Amino acid sequence: MPDSTTQASDEEQAPAKQADTPPEFKRPPLDMRWANAPTERPPLPKDLGPEGFTLRKADVGSYGWAPDHWPYQNDTPRGAWPAPEDKRGLLAPYTIYDKHEVWAENAADLYELAIRERWAPATEITWGSIEPLAEHTEAALDQIYTSISEQQYNSNQVLMGWLGKISYGYHEVKLYLSTQVFDQARHVEAFRKRALSNGGGLGVQMPGFMHRTVYGAFKFTEFIFYTNILRASFLLGICEASDKLARSQADRELFEHTANDLRRHSAYGVDHLKYYLRAASVNRNRVNTWVARGEAMMAADLQRDTALREALILALGDTIEEGKAALKELRAAQLQKYLLTLEAASIYNHGEALVPAFQEAIESP
Amino acid sequence: MVKSDTLEMLRKEPGAEDMDFSWLDDPAAERGMRVVPSKRGLTLEDISVGTYGDPPEETRNQSGRMRGSAPRPDAQNIGAHWIIKSESWSESAMMLYEEALQRQWSSATDIPWEEMPELDEDLELAMSQLCTFLTQVEFIAGDLPAKFAPNISAEHFETGLFLATQIMDEARHLDVFRKRALANGIGLLQAGPGAVGLLAAQSFLDMTASLHLVGEGFVQSMFRMGELIAHSEVDKKIFRLAAQDESRHVAFGIMHMKHLLKNEPERREEIHTYLDRMEGQVGSTPNQSGLTGGGDTTEALAILLGGGKSEKQLDEGYTKLMAVRKRQFNEYVHRLDVVGLSDRRERMHPRIRAFLEPKKN
Repeated sequence: MPDSTTQASDEEQAPAKQADTPPEFKRPPLDMRWANAPTERPPLPKDLGPEGFTLRKADVGSYGWAPDHWPYQNDTPRGAWPAPEDKRGLLAPYTIYDKHEVWAENAADLYELAIRERWAPATEITWGSIEPLAEHTEAALDQIYTSISEQQYNSNQVLMGWLGKISYGYHEVKLYLSTQVFDQARHVEAFRKRALSNGGGLGVQMPGFMHRTVYGAFKFTEFIFYTNILRASFLLGICEASDKLARSQADRELFEHTANDLRRHSAYGVDHLKYYLRAASVNRNRVNTWVARGEAMMAADLQRDTALREALILALGDTIEEGKAALKELRAAQLQKYLLTLEAASIYNHGEALVPAFQEAIESP
Repeated sequence: MVKSDTLEMLRKEPGAEDMDFSWLDDPAAERGMRVVPSKRGLTLEDISVGTYGDPPEETRNQSGRMRGSAPRPDAQNIGAHWIIKSESWSESAMMLYEEALQRQWSSATDIPWEEMPELDEDLELAMSQLCTFLTQVEFIAGDLPAKFAPNISAEHFETGLFLATQIMDEARHLDVFRKRALANGIGLLQAGPGAVGLLAAQSFLDMTASLHLVGEGFVQSMFRMGELIAHSEVDKKIFRLAAQDESRHVAFGIMHMKHLLKNEPERREEIHTYLDRMEGQVGSTPNQSGLTGGGDTTEALAILLGGGKSEKQLDEGYTKLMAVRKRQFNEYVHRLDVVGLSDRRERMHPRIRAFLEPKKN
């Protein structure tokens, strides 16, 4: 840091030493029209409990009611009295004003949960527990970690791009998504740190079909399907295979923390997708298109990512044959997780409608 | 590279017939890394070593390949990433990212809401109005960096990680000021024109100049004077915690601008144009006043600073408000000095210059 301007500390609260008034300053008469804004007077919060003053407890009455369409095209907070039309400033560049495009009933709760469950890779992973491994085993783990770090960076930066398109009326969603952004940033650096910790380094990049698809999503729900349903299911499958993959306490902690974060991402994805599907029957066709597209692109990645395939085989088994069998089990578990996630989002029996290339990639890994 | 006898052994294993192993045989990424945690844990700075710690000044990597990992010739090209490091780089990003993770706080549990005292009604109204304003503008400072995040190259990913922490911080600020307005019986009040204009920034430098150097800098100065504004320990704690967060954001922006000016000094005048706009030399209104005051928020702040709305209290309140303004402008000038824009003092709008302390030699 160059100087005190850039440091934050608790000591910065010193009151001003002097009060200067520029010569031309003239105090305006008291107005206080703002105090008469006819907004709802909320009840005083009580019985907060261990979870404290949550959004759910704060946003009561009209403050908690998110309309189907948000009518204000600026940053007016929900529940505030909007400025007169001629005093609202610029219209914002938001493009999402309809609730069904972003809403999930659990967003407010997931926001608070994410804050309670935050972790810091620098200090909360037992880095000292990592022991030297056979070089091909370490290289295999590093390859897996490289892929996780890369895909989470992709999900992360595209999600950030979507935040600026969501209007202010659905603040719970914007807040929840901010925690997801924060989680994914952690995944990027945590797995990178692990890959550089034990005599190895990063591996080979991914083919990137899913990266491109995630970037290219035209609709927010489409993006959420790719990242929070499809990609999260498959990554969660890997994290939950930590009994086979992890070689140290640090590895296990990494997988456990990440899995915990991914379950929240998945929960938002499920709730949102369900809400979107309920909003209009035509939406089911739209989702089906995204599902097929996502599966086809995921299949392309799975089939072409030789390094990741072989790394999983080496990391999952003590022998190659064992590893191949374990990879087959892993793919089946990932598929099962994906299908159950879709079912929770009200897309039933999808196992019978998988894209053939995707099914092939799962069944013959 | 994995030893040849290990590879030989693997290739001879049953089931290895369809295995390639070239990624083990001839890895294109640097191996042999053994990073170790420092006293602050295993930080981004600790792992920024060897080829992994050497962000290229210019890159053709448009595929999302993380810095240091091995490229593949058939990778998809995204085509959205900035290729020049100085476009988005800030030397402080790694340190500020780690600091942000260590200093996260919860608006639900780290604020002593149950100790909220009943305030005089005018003070509570004024605090609720101030919080309405802050709820309105705080996440603009999340939406704006979010707009540029998809353009950050994976070669310069630390910037992207820092932006993620800023977005998280701003979410918490929106949340905590909203909760504060709803915590003591009044609720949200009158929304104003807000800060949507900031979203018009068209480059990363435009953003760091207008948002970090000016906008968040002014908010930071105001939060730092929270002891004068707040009438309860609850409110003081909110301002204190929020000020810490804002300081990281401001620091990131300052260090970005400093890096950019060192590497692209020809962009100095471009920065001045952004500041001309923010100071009100271009356009009809000074953008900075819309960020920390103006209209309803000014009056609410004056009531809070004076302790009420009697004539005497208002006189005192506005006098203190001018002290807040003075601090905002002088801290702004100090940030300009750090960036390397000391010449800005002479070009500043006279309305602002009137507040400045004499230049120290």
